[in-house]
Amino acid sequence: MSSAAAKPADDTEQLRAFLADSLALWHVDGTVHAADAPVIAEVRAVSGTIVWVERAGTDTPFRWFARWRRAGDAPGGVREGRPRACGSLVGLLAALREALGVERGSPIRVVSAPEPA
Amino acid sequence: MIPVSVLTGFLGSGKTTLLARLMRDPAMGKTAVIVNEFGAIGLDHDLIETSEESFVQLSNGCLCCNVRSDLTLTLADLAARRAQGTVPPFERVVIETSGLADPAPILHALMTERDLAGFYTLDGVITTVDALLGITTLEQHEESRRQVAVADRIVITKTDVAGADVDALRQWLAHLNPGAMASAGVQGAIAPSVLFDCGSYDANSKHPDVGAWLARTSHSYQGHQGNHGHTHSDDYSSISLLREAPLRAVTLPLLLSALAENFGADLLRVKGIVHVLESPERPAVIHGVQHVYHAPVWLPRWPSADRRTRMVLIGRNLRESWVRKLIDMLDAEVADETARHT
Repeated sequence: MSSAAAKPADDTEQLRAFLADSLALWHVDGTVHAADAPVIAEVRAVSGTIVWVERAGTDTPFRWFARWRRAGDAPGGVREGRPRACGSLVGLLAALREALGVERGSPIRVVSAPEPA
Repeated sequence: MIPVSVLTGFLGSGKTTLLARLMRDPAMGKTAVIVNEFGAIGLDHDLIETSEESFVQLSNGCLCCNVRSDLTLTLADLAARRAQGTVPPFERVVIETSGLADPAPILHALMTERDLAGFYTLDGVITTVDALLGITTLEQHEESRRQVAVADRIVITKTDVAGADVDALRQWLAHLNPGAMASAGVQGAIAPSVLFDCGSYDANSKHPDVGAWLARTSHSYQGHQGNHGHTHSDDYSSISLLREAPLRAVTLPLLLSALAENFGADLLRVKGIVHVLESPERPAVIHGVQHVYHAPVWLPRWPSADRRTRMVLIGRNLRESWVRKLIDMLDAEVADETARHT
């Protein structure tokens, strides 16, 4: 995680703004802040859950790592110590929803288009 | 493949009147009709002239709540009886829902049920809206908004009744579902050709609906970019997205996944024509109902000189700014990953 590729600051700002928008979309009261490296976004829900987002290094097949501590969890718990690796922004959003206990939609289901008559 | 049309609309909006009139048209001669009435005593069969064998009445509850047990089995049974020759060789099916039905589960069944695949294909959704009471109904009843939101064709009924503000209703309908073609039909008088063969879910290369659909939605894009004017307090609405830059192929499934997973039940329908970077001459047409999508269909060519990606999302509490950021960020992420591995 510490070998994260350098990214333009505006990318990071864009991500934080997007995560804040995502909280609003899910009706979660919370805020998104900058934090000490390697964390690029710290999500704090009013419920007490904290999620830390890091960029994955270029030497990994992942894009993001997410760690979290739910309200009432002791520091250093499983999800805080063992980050969730996410292959894309879609995965990062899924991790965030899991951490925050947000239940939204089902995974996409693609069905075959009808054959031409 | 037998095309199946879903005829829906709120209570009293004129579904049965429309269907009865349509069934008198010679063009509808080989049509099987499935009617779902909510009450225990069905009346619609007395109102719709069609052959006894090709008319199925489902009176044991709301169709959308009993899709698997009722509709799927009924359609499968009709197909079997057609093959046996015990029903006339129908070439089309019209399903009239009850006035309170949510069409989405019905569409899901038609798109996904294995028992139906290979024999039926979803043609489109026709929704009736009462010109006199339509706005009030749309304001007060979520079922009505959902019925309009998933429509391919909207029939505005009772336009001949004094006091009907058809222009205001059309604004409402365009706000909820800019992609649906709205037509007036007094006493059900409307040509079948206007309502059927939508092509919305058609995998044939012709895609008769695409050009017309794009023409209708282009109005909403211009409205969005300019002074859109009217606003509504309802929670259902549509988002029209226009994008100049092509999307990378990998971005598309990621985008559809993100929309389905993050909007959940709030997202009713997605339609779009997408300029895919890797396929500049053949755009992809996407259709989805909630989280269920047909595999993208690749048109043989662009239907017009306009090669921009255009998508319409219809649902509740949709955040346009979030969707726009999502698209930009996903495509940038895919571009970055591609660059890393080449």
